[in-house]
Amino acid sequence: MYYRETGQTVKNYTEDRRMVPLREDRWIMWAFLAVLFIGVPMFANDYVLSAIFIPMMVLGIAALGLNIAVGYTGQLSLGTAGFMCFGAFTAFNLLFRVEWMNVWLAFLMSGVVAGLVGIIFGLPSLRIKGFYLLVSTLCAQFFAEWFFNAYPWFLNNSTSGVAALPPFHYRFLPYQEQIFDLFGWDKDYNAYIWRYFIALITTVLLALACKNMVRSSTGRNWMAVRDMDIAANVIGISVGKTKINAFFVSCFYCGIAGAMYSYCYIGNLDFMIFNLRRSFLIMFMVILGGLGSILGSFLGAIFVYGWPILLTRTADAVFGGGTLDTAFIENNSKIIVGTFIVVLLIYQPMGFAGLWNSVKHKLRIWPFKT
Amino acid sequence: MSNGVNGKEPHMVIENIDLAFGGTKAITDISFTVYKGEICAVIGPNGAGKSSMLNVINGVYIPQQGSITFEGKKFAKMKPHSAATMGIGRTFQNIALFSGMSVVENIMTGRNLMMKSTFIENALGIGRSKKEEILHREACEEIIEFLGLQSIRKTPVSSLSYGLQKRVELGRALAAEPKMLLLDEPIAGMNIEEKLDMACFIQEINRNRGTTIVLIEHDMGVVMDVSDHVVVMDYGAKIGDGTPEEVMSNQKVIDAYLGVSHDD
Ligand SMILES: Nc1ncnc2c1ncn2[C@@H]1O[C@H](COP(=O)(O)OP(=O)(O)O)[C@@H](O)[C@H]1O
Ligand SMILES: [Mg+2]
Repeated sequence: MYYRETGQTVKNYTEDRRMVPLREDRWIMWAFLAVLFIGVPMFANDYVLSAIFIPMMVLGIAALGLNIAVGYTGQLSLGTAGFMCFGAFTAFNLLFRVEWMNVWLAFLMSGVVAGLVGIIFGLPSLRIKGFYLLVSTLCAQFFAEWFFNAYPWFLNNSTSGVAALPPFHYRFLPYQEQIFDLFGWDKDYNAYIWRYFIALITTVLLALACKNMVRSSTGRNWMAVRDMDIAANVIGISVGKTKINAFFVSCFYCGIAGAMYSYCYIGNLDFMIFNLRRSFLIMFMVILGGLGSILGSFLGAIFVYGWPILLTRTADAVFGGGTLDTAFIENNSKIIVGTFIVVLLIYQPMGFAGLWNSVKHKLRIWPFKT
Repeated sequence: MSNGVNGKEPHMVIENIDLAFGGTKAITDISFTVYKGEICAVIGPNGAGKSSMLNVINGVYIPQQGSITFEGKKFAKMKPHSAATMGIGRTFQNIALFSGMSVVENIMTGRNLMMKSTFIENALGIGRSKKEEILHREACEEIIEFLGLQSIRKTPVSSLSYGLQKRVELGRALAAEPKMLLLDEPIAGMNIEEKLDMACFIQEINRNRGTTIVLIEHDMGVVMDVSDHVVVMDYGAKIGDGTPEEVMSNQKVIDAYLGVSHDD
């Protein structure tokens, strides 16, 4: 219906490996980016930015990170929140202690630190698989909690577990002050609109990088190890190196997600929120969104995070605000999400991404049926 | 095709290989030589230890005894990765494709040893990344064309027929430009057209690229047609070795194949 592929031909291999092969998909993508970069900042208020767009992007990146390990490389991991925790602490300590630090470098370093931690906890994957690996990655979770408890220096010696933080200095532009002066903007660098842009740019760059990796030898090696490690080894792929590489990249993404979580989303540093529950939630996002899919990681994050909000809002609209018990709504939303997961995965094991692909397939071949 | 047994350079020498799984002996004291540029068929009844032999050659199984000399270098055991580096390619009896990838992606994985760009280059699309991808894609397209896989290059391999999957697996092994190809029952379970196609591909690879081929096959007609050299195994031991004609007139081989108990 929407797709008209006749006449869309590729003339060389560069064109053939375009990131988005179909013209119609490229239109969707550009429109979507225009909305995110222009529409949303123009029309969205602080609530919408802080409670909807920013967390969805942050969790989407965390889900994407986990998906690299689980979906693309087949290495189960439950340490996601732990790796996010290391990322968040790295960003905080760099921005807090290093005078010349800026947000981008701090995010990059949080990724690197979390990635290195990920390598350590990924080492058991050289020997063990599946559920056993799940347990070993779980250690990352407990290690993070123990570590930041034992060394409160990283939390600026806060005794409450939540760092009573000095205002973040968001240095994200060269000549930031001068630029703000020039345009006459309010110098509230902490404003949600700037956090939104930081999160958006980070998200777009990381998603692009991931797309680039999965359509190159890096991603093919991951998937080869996932699909059949003996065959991968026999054609010369070093299975161990590939797993370690996947753990690094996966945790790099999780680390940046952690830094974004505390900087762009909640605006403080609290290691208790990087708990096991969050690891599980991110795992749900990946499973529900679609294993081995970039789009799916974001769809999963949007659904798992957005669903309870949607439900609460709908309930408020229908029954009038405050009539319904929040616990009641919360429990109901869990039941609905749980049922939905089961039903969806029976009919569409590849989650939302699979659903989207089958819809797209129908649109491409319409008016034919198969 | 020249006859490999007579006065050709050895490509691989297998000496006194013993392999056991716990108590069961899969291979007992096997020695044979594969000559450069020949098609060597390994035949024998089911369970004779043929697949295990290939697994020993490229390091999937580690023998208890014996050695493998490949291109003059002697190894007590191989490692799969170094076997690949030295130019030993392989297909499996049970298809071992990467089921989550398309045909062209599967074949591209075959060239992983030649692709040097790091994950950072790949992530950012800088450095060697793009150039390599295009360069190796061209090489893979030649293989796709050779094997007649053009129309299904973007198809997920899991949705292909058995015969086509076998062909893709051959393509993946070929993509590595191996000096020696180990093919484990590449023709088994196919219909007659697919068998003929596959036999032609194997012969063409051998002839045009000079690739040495070690082939496990049950179809005696095909074995007689394509091979220069036949090694016969039964119950883990070698019972025959020579040209197809020599082997076919060997009493032990006839017995093993016809199931006749041969009392001396
Ligand atoms: N991984 C393994 N573990 C235990 N036994 C094995 C294994 N692989 C092969 N075998 C045994 O080794 C013998 C030879 O098997 P195989 O090499 O597959 O024979 P062929 O390929 O000639 O049919 C069989 O008895 C088989 O059961
Ligand atoms: Mg076999």
